[in-house]
Amino acid sequence: MTTAAVPSAPSAPAAPSAAAVPSTTAVFVRLKLSLLRNGLRQSTGRKAVWITSVVLVSLYAALQVLGLIVLRGHAHVGALSVCMAALLAFGWAVMPLFFPGGDETMDPTRLVMLPLRPTPMMTGLLAASLVGIGPGFTLAVLTGTVIASAHGAAAFAVGVLAAPLALLVCLSLARAVATANVRLLTSRKGRDLALLSGLVIGVGGQFVNLAMQQLNGLGMARLEPVADVLRWIPPGSALDAVRAASEGSYGRAAAGLALTAAALAALLWWWQRSLTKVMTSPDASTIGAAAASTGKERASGPGLARLLPAGRTGAAMHRSLRYIWRDPKTKASWVSGLAVGALVPIVNAAQGAESVWFSVFAPTMLGLQMYNQFGQDGPAFWMVLQTIGSPRDAYVELRARALAFSLIAVPYVTLVVTGTAAFTGKWSDWAEVLGLSLALLGALFATGALASVLAPYSIPQDSGFKNVAPGQGAIAWFGMLGALVGAVLCAPLGALAIWLHVAGAHSLLWILLPLGAGYGLLTAWLGLRLAAPRAVGQLPEILAAVNKG
Amino acid sequence: MEAVGQGATPAVRVEGLWKRFGEQVAVAGVDLEIPAGRFIGLVGPNGAGKTTTLSMVTGLLRPDSGRVLIGGHDVWQDPAAVKARIGVLPEGLRMFERLSGRELLAYTGRLRGLPGEEVDKRATQLLDVLDLAGSQHKLVIDYSTGMRKKIGLAAALLHNPEVLFLDEPFEGVDPVSAQTIRGVLERYTASGATVVFSSHVMELVESLCSWVAVMAGGRIRAHGPLADVRGDAPTLQDAFLELVGVRGAAGGDSLDWLGGGAR
Repeated sequence: MTTAAVPSAPSAPAAPSAAAVPSTTAVFVRLKLSLLRNGLRQSTGRKAVWITSVVLVSLYAALQVLGLIVLRGHAHVGALSVCMAALLAFGWAVMPLFFPGGDETMDPTRLVMLPLRPTPMMTGLLAASLVGIGPGFTLAVLTGTVIASAHGAAAFAVGVLAAPLALLVCLSLARAVATANVRLLTSRKGRDLALLSGLVIGVGGQFVNLAMQQLNGLGMARLEPVADVLRWIPPGSALDAVRAASEGSYGRAAAGLALTAAALAALLWWWQRSLTKVMTSPDASTIGAAAASTGKERASGPGLARLLPAGRTGAAMHRSLRYIWRDPKTKASWVSGLAVGALVPIVNAAQGAESVWFSVFAPTMLGLQMYNQFGQDGPAFWMVLQTIGSPRDAYVELRARALAFSLIAVPYVTLVVTGTAAFTGKWSDWAEVLGLSLALLGALFATGALASVLAPYSIPQDSGFKNVAPGQGAIAWFGMLGALVGAVLCAPLGALAIWLHVAGAHSLLWILLPLGAGYGLLTAWLGLRLAAPRAVGQLPEILAAVNKG
Repeated sequence: MEAVGQGATPAVRVEGLWKRFGEQVAVAGVDLEIPAGRFIGLVGPNGAGKTTTLSMVTGLLRPDSGRVLIGGHDVWQDPAAVKARIGVLPEGLRMFERLSGRELLAYTGRLRGLPGEEVDKRATQLLDVLDLAGSQHKLVIDYSTGMRKKIGLAAALLHNPEVLFLDEPFEGVDPVSAQTIRGVLERYTASGATVVFSSHVMELVESLCSWVAVMAGGRIRAHGPLADVRGDAPTLQDAFLELVGVRGAAGGDSLDWLGGGAR
């Protein structure tokens, strides 16, 4: 490895001699190690998390390798290893988009002021990429697939080449994607994307889970058609070369390896091109200042504004609805609420637990959105504070938020309950479940409004995973106790439903629907009425509590 | 030092204002009468208590003790009357950033209880005057510092308040935006309204304000018309350094390698 060209002006007598300059690669590897070490130094909590994840990942990797070794000789293990390689490569490709903070050396613009040529820089960065938990895990899994599918010395020889080659493809893929998208990643849109990472993990986990169940149920033969395509796509082609060499088709093995090597070369070329472009073009702030307004982010529609009531109610409703769509944290919370509310009854029905009652997850998840309203405003809450002078103002503000959420929640809850009833065919339960769902929604809006006033807390805006500011966890839990109170508030209706069932008055069960809707409205109104005067008296304290993000 | 016109109600009257954060005393007994219709500068070094004082005066922070009257109305007894009369641009500028500039104004105006058509009319004019018309549909989160200060100012002016409180309105603002903000504020005070702003840029305060209050260590060290506070000192900067007790520090020999021919 050659060192970077240090521009030494002839007038600089103290320029370090070439011998004293360590190689760029060593510097980058040491930089990565320092970053890892200093990240751990920040807090004991982080250290604990890091050590735990190292242990867990090592255990998981060991299990994977063991599992693969056990599968050695299985008819479809070749297909499995190809699919795993593709999955790993996919993971590496999307990782920089959702976890840009994970590796600070990923952002080459931090190095823009250093006198470095692309080639030594790329070698150094790639070497730095090899340090960490992720590369270790990847290499372990790749080694496992080689052990599982290699038979004979020639196949192992191919495997010794294939595993590192596949690892390098993964790493340069991540680097190239990160570099090509560095403008996006350092922009506001990129940070918004990263805030959705929690959601991606949750949803992705469900899909992987579902896929695993399919594999367990139907066997790995299901992978063959997919693998037939993936075995021609690097880095899968490198692992397929191991299988080909085991079967004696050396031409095919050589082709597979060559394909992966070619892909690596192409990725490196792409990476170098984007690197040069990124390092020599102006950064986002300059481009942003020069670009004229596009008018693209036009209001989400004057049509909606016209349908909403005038004055504070309409304005606050409109803002709440816009924030559900535009604020990544609020969006993630709503998307997961909507998804869980619909998935729980569907999954349970699909697994044979056919009950319409599972659809009460929908009002629960949506009612919880009313909790910590002012914490969701964050530091911007002062703008609301400045306009609240009387209990009436506070009441109208809270009511507007509840109304905005009802616009989504009421149709959604109705849809979920009706859908579940249709799916299970138990239409006899429809009226009572819908009635109790609406009552629960109203009760959660009521307790949510009260908890927003009595137990406000900050929501950190910079992390997709943290939803409570440090030191306020107890407050958040206290607020969530309100959800239990909300459930208890619905007890009279529940008791009525049970009594009607026990008394055999099934023909009267429909009465729970209008009663539930009315009860929900009444509790929501009462809750808002109780919360409003307390909010007015507590405005500066609420602002202080939600301003810690 | 008493500079308030006899008989006239002061725009802001502060009596015995105290605020502690744990052990630290942020504001240690501030008494102040701010005359109406003036451009008022609140100056002081970092940590002097300017932001804490302004937060308590505008109802964003509850004082430990003391009283604040704005236009004769008590901030904590009669919040509705006070909030309708003041406009605020706090430090840090955290607004509803996922709204566009125009949406933010439309929202704020309606929350203030103004009729929708009037809000939209005023918003259009403010966006024009503050040179934000081209970015009115951009989200505030994508605004530069200068644009944020301007949209914050527009939101604070929308309901035509009697007193405007601005915390560091010119910090991080480019000269063009600063001149725009200045023009709007001068027009606003000329009509009889009061602007109170905090700053630590003395030249700016000297050129803009007719009345200043100097704060340090949580107390008001001097207040009154600019000329009175400046006294015999050549500039406000000199008067200020004298008041807060700072002398030009000698360099010593700690940076003797800096500059010159030898490297």
